[in-house]
Amino acid sequence: MSIRHALLGLLAQKPRHGYELRAAFQAVVGGSEAWDVKPAQIYTTLDRLEEAGLVERHSDLGEGSEPARRIYALTEAGRAALQEWFACAVDSQHQRDEFFVKLMVALFSGEARLELIIQTQRSHLYQEMHAMTTLRDSYHARTGMAQILLLDKAIMHLEADLRWMEITEMRIEAIKGQPFPEPEIRPRGRPRKGN
Amino acid sequence: MSIISTSQLTKIYGSGPAAVTALDHVTLKIDPGEFVAIMGPSGCGKSTLLHLIGGLDKATEGVVAVDGHTLSDLDDNSLTELRRRKMGFVFQFYNLIPVLTALENAALPVTLDGVKPAEAQKKASEWLSRFGLGDRLSHRPDQLSGGQQQRVAIARALVAEPQLILADEPTGNLDTKASDEIAALLRRVSKEFGRAVVMVTHDPRIAAYADRIIFLKDGKIAEETILEKKK
Repeated sequence: MSIRHALLGLLAQKPRHGYELRAAFQAVVGGSEAWDVKPAQIYTTLDRLEEAGLVERHSDLGEGSEPARRIYALTEAGRAALQEWFACAVDSQHQRDEFFVKLMVALFSGEARLELIIQTQRSHLYQEMHAMTTLRDSYHARTGMAQILLLDKAIMHLEADLRWMEITEMRIEAIKGQPFPEPEIRPRGRPRKGN
Repeated sequence: MSIISTSQLTKIYGSGPAAVTALDHVTLKIDPGEFVAIMGPSGCGKSTLLHLIGGLDKATEGVVAVDGHTLSDLDDNSLTELRRRKMGFVFQFYNLIPVLTALENAALPVTLDGVKPAEAQKKASEWLSRFGLGDRLSHRPDQLSGGQQQRVAIARALVAEPQLILADEPTGNLDTKASDEIAALLRRVSKEFGRAVVMVTHDPRIAAYADRIIFLKDGKIAEETILEKKK
């Protein structure tokens, strides 16, 4: 996920101070409930961007008694990197999934019942979907469309997860009956556990 | 006191080797003002459960009580009266009468109950206005969108001021946007107007609007999920 490109975009709009960048970034990603970013992450990213020559840092002499602050601006190379990002598609990343891994681990270890794991997860997904639906409906279409869009995306993905879970539940017996994919056994590897 | 309580509620269709158990000893309670979704694969018994609660079908075994009245204790007249005063029904295909206006459709249940037409229409127009249909009162169903027709049907279900709304796949015939609007409206009926709403749906997005989901499987309660704690 690209904090750096969001920062480049914010600096394309205008030069900003670090703390101001963080606040603007939080707003862009849909608030800290959606994606909480620590100040350290913002500053580390800014350092890297500076090293790569994509942003430049100036010192801003604070007015009156205010201390000097760092102000960041986009370089030409930074603008090019931003354009490159716009030109590329984003990977969906749905194949790297913790719940799927949990299900597989339960399957081969025999340490948990798949039905129970699905039940627990389904309950949780419905609770999340309820909370997000309630939150989405609290925004007004005239002022909160960005939040509505993000929550709609999350709700639609939850919906897909729940449908996938329904299908998976129907296929539990089928998957239980199949050999679990094992890596190639090295000549003197540990002996396989019996099934 | 619960608005609905069932105990060991069972429905068997047919007899002998051809008998099919649609509902298998279901015991549940639903509170006044609660919004409950009933889910499950087709044939799991969810519509049967709704029909038994609504007195549209008779149980083979077990009891169902609505607002303290055990349905099997009532004769046909009392059951009809209970249904008319205590429950409102919402269906997938709206079931509006094509030649009547939105206002006349919504007023119909109380008109049939002997309330003067002017008074019945006043109540109906109040509910229609609450649901954003104040400027559609004289439209006929074919002049309204699916979502608007369903809102008329919900107004009709509420016109006799029942404490319980039973909705069978209320969004089954609607597109995504209209479905969300109807689900949000049913939530309002529960939260803003304090009516219990029991809704059968197969759509996860729509079920997520409820306070609680009951999952049926093979006629039994398989799972229950609380989405919103009681206040």
